[in-house]
Amino acid sequence: MGEKRRRVGFVGCPPEDVLKAQGVAELVDLDNVIEGARPRGESLLPRTTCRIIRRILDNALSVELDEIIVDEGYGKCDAARGLAELLEDLLDVPVIRTQNDNRQSAGTPISDSALPLLRKVELILDGFVNPQEVELTAQPKPRAAMWGVPAADFSIYEPFPDGTQVLGWTRCLENRTPAEWELEMYVPVGVPTVFFAQTFCPKNVVAQHLARRHDGLHVDVDGVLSQPVRAKIEAFLRFKRVWD
Amino acid sequence: MAILGDFGTTWTKLLDTDTGERRVIATRDAAAHGQRADIATGHNARRRAPRHVNELIALAQGGQRLIEEPELLVLDVGSRDVKYIHLRDGELLGMDWTATCGALTGFTLELLGNYYGIDYAAVEPSTKSVPVTCGVLGMEQLFELVSEGVPVEEAVARFARGIAMNAYRFIGEPKQFCLSGGMCENRLFHRSFPEEVEVRLLGRYVLVEGLIPELTEDGRATK
Repeated sequence: MGEKRRRVGFVGCPPEDVLKAQGVAELVDLDNVIEGARPRGESLLPRTTCRIIRRILDNALSVELDEIIVDEGYGKCDAARGLAELLEDLLDVPVIRTQNDNRQSAGTPISDSALPLLRKVELILDGFVNPQEVELTAQPKPRAAMWGVPAADFSIYEPFPDGTQVLGWTRCLENRTPAEWELEMYVPVGVPTVFFAQTFCPKNVVAQHLARRHDGLHVDVDGVLSQPVRAKIEAFLRFKRVWD
Repeated sequence: MAILGDFGTTWTKLLDTDTGERRVIATRDAAAHGQRADIATGHNARRRAPRHVNELIALAQGGQRLIEEPELLVLDVGSRDVKYIHLRDGELLGMDWTATCGALTGFTLELLGNYYGIDYAAVEPSTKSVPVTCGVLGMEQLFELVSEGVPVEEAVARFARGIAMNAYRFIGEPKQFCLSGGMCENRLFHRSFPEEVEVRLLGRYVLVEGLIPELTEDGRATK
């Protein structure tokens, strides 16, 4: 009988060396959807908590973990820092606090590829736990762009044309530089861009501002994508002549 | 050649492009009778037609067909939500759609009218307003006024003014705009916007009108 493999949950984008130091441990990305996780943290968080922080807590309370690594650096938010405190008090597992200030670019080939937007986000998010070898063709002239953090409901990515460029924190995530503000603020000139953040996320301040600056569309979604938000994205892409 | 339908939350607007006949039926009856269309828009459209056009696009296209001026700002106040589109020479200047802050405002106004037996054409607008963040909260305020002895007509007029002012702020307080939807037929409501603002009434078929550009050149609907 072999020794049981350690299971390590992580939040945000911890430094590569911290994750590598886990050796053969099974890594669990607590920001992502975990089948079978139940909404156990509902009563433990204020109503004005974003959907991803809620998901992290639900996941952490649903999955048996040996350790949790939290990126609580500049690339994450106050809510994640607070959540680390909460997890430490609630669970009988060590919570390791880290900060990822990496500036060494890993590149953004997925963000700049010709793949459908939804596939791009899936690949970027799976990149930590299940990195996949995918043949990528660059899309040098994207017809649209999507700025922001990964959404809780992936159907938000459906109305976009293939090759839509990934911008914002999701791009930083692929680049493994989650705290690189300059990269996060990068928006190409003249590309119709939708600026997205989770409802209640402080990133909405900059998302709305950038949308004004770049003549884009700002949307925020709390969990499931609503019909009005989907309609706004579709109308924006249509009236910006993305499909012409 | 085609039946075009705007299947709203409470009312369904239909246009037969062959005969030109237009009619409004209750959405509950449309559902009960299995009413279908070739192209549809609206809250309940997806189950009623093989092809669906989103409401903001239908609103924009309808506005473009009904207004000759290069700039158009059309506000649609529906039963459950409020939306607008602002275009100049076909370029998008702004748009929004709220189903939360403006929730159920149109529906609640209709409900109150039926409940109190109010003829909205005979009620004068009020200069005061009830804070109507949504239909339900607004109604609570209205009942409070009635219990304090404010005449029902005046309380409802304040409620209508609250909805109108919310919608007016939502579209950025312009000097003039076009109103779309069933509220065009509610005289109290469309007179409850600020007096100096020019409100042009487009009627309740704007979204249906906006489906016409989706037909082929020979007037057929494609899937």
